[in-house]
Amino acid sequence: MGNNSSRVTAQDKAILDLKTQRDKLHQYQRRITVLTDRETQIARQMLAQGDKKRALLALRRKKYQETLLAKTDGQLEQLEKLTSSVEFALIQKDVVFGLQQGTRVLKEIHAEMGGIDHVEKLMGETADAIAYQQEVSEMLGGRISNQDEDEVENELAALEAEVNMTAQIRHPSLPSVPDTKLST
Amino acid sequence: MTTPFPFPREYSFPPFFTRQTNLTTHHAQLTKWSALVLAYCRHHRLFKLSLSDDTDLFHNRALSRRLALADAREVIEFLRKDGRAEYAGGDAAATADGGDVVWIYWRTPEEWAALVEGWVEETGQKGGVLTLYELTEGDATRGTELHGLDSDLLQKALSVLVKRGRAQIFGQEDSQGVKFF
Repeated sequence: MGNNSSRVTAQDKAILDLKTQRDKLHQYQRRITVLTDRETQIARQMLAQGDKKRALLALRRKKYQETLLAKTDGQLEQLEKLTSSVEFALIQKDVVFGLQQGTRVLKEIHAEMGGIDHVEKLMGETADAIAYQQEVSEMLGGRISNQDEDEVENELAALEAEVNMTAQIRHPSLPSVPDTKLST
Repeated sequence: MTTPFPFPREYSFPPFFTRQTNLTTHHAQLTKWSALVLAYCRHHRLFKLSLSDDTDLFHNRALSRRLALADAREVIEFLRKDGRAEYAGGDAAATADGGDVVWIYWRTPEEWAALVEGWVEETGQKGGVLTLYELTEGDATRGTELHGLDSDLLQKALSVLVKRGRAQIFGQEDSQGVKFF
């Protein structure tokens, strides 16, 4: 192998050291727990044999071991807090780096756009061009409507009359049916 | 964990412990024994077998029948061909004095590697550093299949991942760590 250098950074090694310390404490706790369990067993046996003094001794030893456990708990917590802080700091570093990259790219894009003045000038030119087009359309459109407006209105009136006529032929007004009895 | 292992029917069948001469029967016998060995080790979460141990795997006390050492080796050989067993200490030890300790891969190193990778993926620990100790003994893996895995077998599984470029092991002996990519 040996193609590229190790992908393990110095920070990874530091984290590994912290975690190894945590593991050692963890193992120590397990050892102590085994001892405390045994002391409880011994205490029980002694009581069964009626040896109260020895039982008390066993329980005292167990109490001491339990305080050791509590102390290591505190230390473990410290270690784990520190490990988390280091890991979090690494994440933050990545975030800052990401921001840097993003900002750099944004700036490049702005530069490509030519700057604010250029954009303003461009917008102005676009507005002029659109206004010009509007004028031309109005001129062309306006002329047509002035000439043919009357003709179109006449055609509409004629069509309307035609439609009413056909309606009349289809449905001529029928005499109304008497609603009272006819006198015979 | 402490539930007794459910032995298959053939375990109560005396001829099962005698090497069969008929080829077809012998093959069936080997197949059944292999399955039994794998199931037994999986149930008790045994990663290695010591062939000289007098466990109830090869010795049925109720029947007073025991599988002979030579026949047990045949079963191991059958498993080896399937990639499910390996003599600890390498093949040299196996042929020289017939090794005693055998790895029983009810899960092969590749399968363990997949499990490890899966767990790392699930818990979002890619890119983070983990000690080998915490992978098998830590509180994080408690209740998963990884907890209590033999550390040598873990090494085998991890080297599969290292070969594939998915992980890197570093640190000193006894306090090694692994980083997953």
